[in-house]
Amino acid sequence: MKTISSTIADATLNSIEETQRQLQDDTLNAFHEIWHDSIEKKSLDLQPDSPLQGATVAIKDNIATIQGTTTCGSKMLDGYRSPFDATVIQRLEDAGAILVGKTNCDEFAMGSSTEHCAWGPVRNPWDSTRVPGGSSGGSAAAVAARMCQASLGSDTGGSVRQPAAFCGIVGYKPTYGAVSRYGLVAFASSLDQIGIFSQTVEDTARITQVIAGFDELDSTSNPDAFPNVVEPLHTPIEKLRIGVPSQYLGEQNDEEVNEAVTAAIQTYKELGATIVDIELPLTDVGVSTYYVLAPAECSSNLARYDGIRYGHRTSSPCKDLFELYSRSRAEGFGDEVKRRIMLGTYVLSSGYYDAYYNNALKIRRLICEEYKSAFSECDVILGPTTPTVAFKIGEKIDPISMYINDVYTAPTNIAGTCGISIPCGFSEKHGCKLPIGLHLQASWHNDSQLLRVAQMFESATSFHKEIPECCS
Amino acid sequence: MNQSQPDSPLTDETVRHVANLARLALSDQEIDTAKTDLTSIFRHIDKLNSINTDGVEPLDHPTELMNHTRDDVAGDTLSQEQVLVNAPSVKDVYFDVPKVLGDSE
Repeated sequence: MKTISSTIADATLNSIEETQRQLQDDTLNAFHEIWHDSIEKKSLDLQPDSPLQGATVAIKDNIATIQGTTTCGSKMLDGYRSPFDATVIQRLEDAGAILVGKTNCDEFAMGSSTEHCAWGPVRNPWDSTRVPGGSSGGSAAAVAARMCQASLGSDTGGSVRQPAAFCGIVGYKPTYGAVSRYGLVAFASSLDQIGIFSQTVEDTARITQVIAGFDELDSTSNPDAFPNVVEPLHTPIEKLRIGVPSQYLGEQNDEEVNEAVTAAIQTYKELGATIVDIELPLTDVGVSTYYVLAPAECSSNLARYDGIRYGHRTSSPCKDLFELYSRSRAEGFGDEVKRRIMLGTYVLSSGYYDAYYNNALKIRRLICEEYKSAFSECDVILGPTTPTVAFKIGEKIDPISMYINDVYTAPTNIAGTCGISIPCGFSEKHGCKLPIGLHLQASWHNDSQLLRVAQMFESATSFHKEIPECCS
Repeated sequence: MNQSQPDSPLTDETVRHVANLARLALSDQEIDTAKTDLTSIFRHIDKLNSINTDGVEPLDHPTELMNHTRDDVAGDTLSQEQVLVNAPSVKDVYFDVPKVLGDSE
């Protein structure tokens, strides 16, 4: 499939036949809904000079769209029709994108495998017995399988970057506040950020340019103008300093992951970068901090699902309103969501608030300070996106073994900085090729610099050109 | 509620209390599973106690910006029909609910 950038460079438009062919067979269960009728209608009415010129974009099912349903992968919102569009949806449509449908995700974006989806697990296009990562697994699988050119996901602790790594594509989480959250169904509001998947860094930059920027409908939206990230993208950064924390490479990672990241460091050296040894000792407690803060915010945000105004309502007779709430919620939510609501309710409850929640907020400040200090020594921080390659569906039953997948990505959300995963190699030891992701992080609002550094690597390598066998 | 230290084992009673606060009608089996899962998660989370946070101010939001508010000007809002369309039960132009004051409390 052509990239968005090459479509624009050639001054052509995507053919409707090609788009429909790509979306014909969703054996990966990447989509909850594919909007065939509107794809055809929009394809006939494209504006050739619009910024995205008919780019095909899939939308994670936790982003509100008037078209179709918005279910968050949950029985709780089965059939829910949003009366409004998220700001990012309006901006994509105004820029001439063709929205192709809603992608499956872990329920309410809680998970790292897209197995916790009420509409069934999503499969990894590189090996259909493995997970695509999560929670935005459908959005990642759809781009990796070349069913569309780009997609939107949401990243609360790594839910864009981790599936991008597992699926061998680019996944970018902008700085907190860069992209409006209006219409993104809230999971953990101080950590949530809409992110972008695509085949190349340039396509990611083009989509970002369209959706980023102040929105008065999101009270945490950054009022400063978002910089032009497309124009300077191909200008390499001179005297680039890349920080490599000692905590990021070690026995906790697959050997092939360490090898691929070490090779990427060598590539940057050859491009003239200076490698700086840095320390991020709080990396070890990032996941624990995250699993106090995110469930706390989730338990509060998900209190709105009460079976009254929208969402699932129990059909059992209830003697009072309290029972109606409790039964509707117990029936509507899946196991992982219930677990996190319980965890969050506990850490916020009287007697435990200070010991857990407030203490985690203090550690959050320490993590931010650790990042600030690191970014005084280097321009970007480099490491693996995940300790391992994609794991088997059903392999991780214990919640903790799933949670530690976020070890390198969750701290970015805790601090609110930006991060990107780009393809940097493959593991060959599992009987098929499984992608490995390189994680780059930059300081607050340095999104343009982050994308340029990612582009430098992509221009020097060809990992991003490899596609899964199922799609070749 | 039980004011025990965070590192003491979770009891069924505590888990039921939390489920009640969270408005989740969990079965006995689910209470049992929740107790096992939460115990293992807390064992992991308890490593946060090893970090010295004396004198550190809590940080509840990464930007530390103040919320900005819109001008107080009337704009487009959802119609009553749009608001009610997703409700599981509606009577006339109202959300329909069981009686609020039950016999139980």
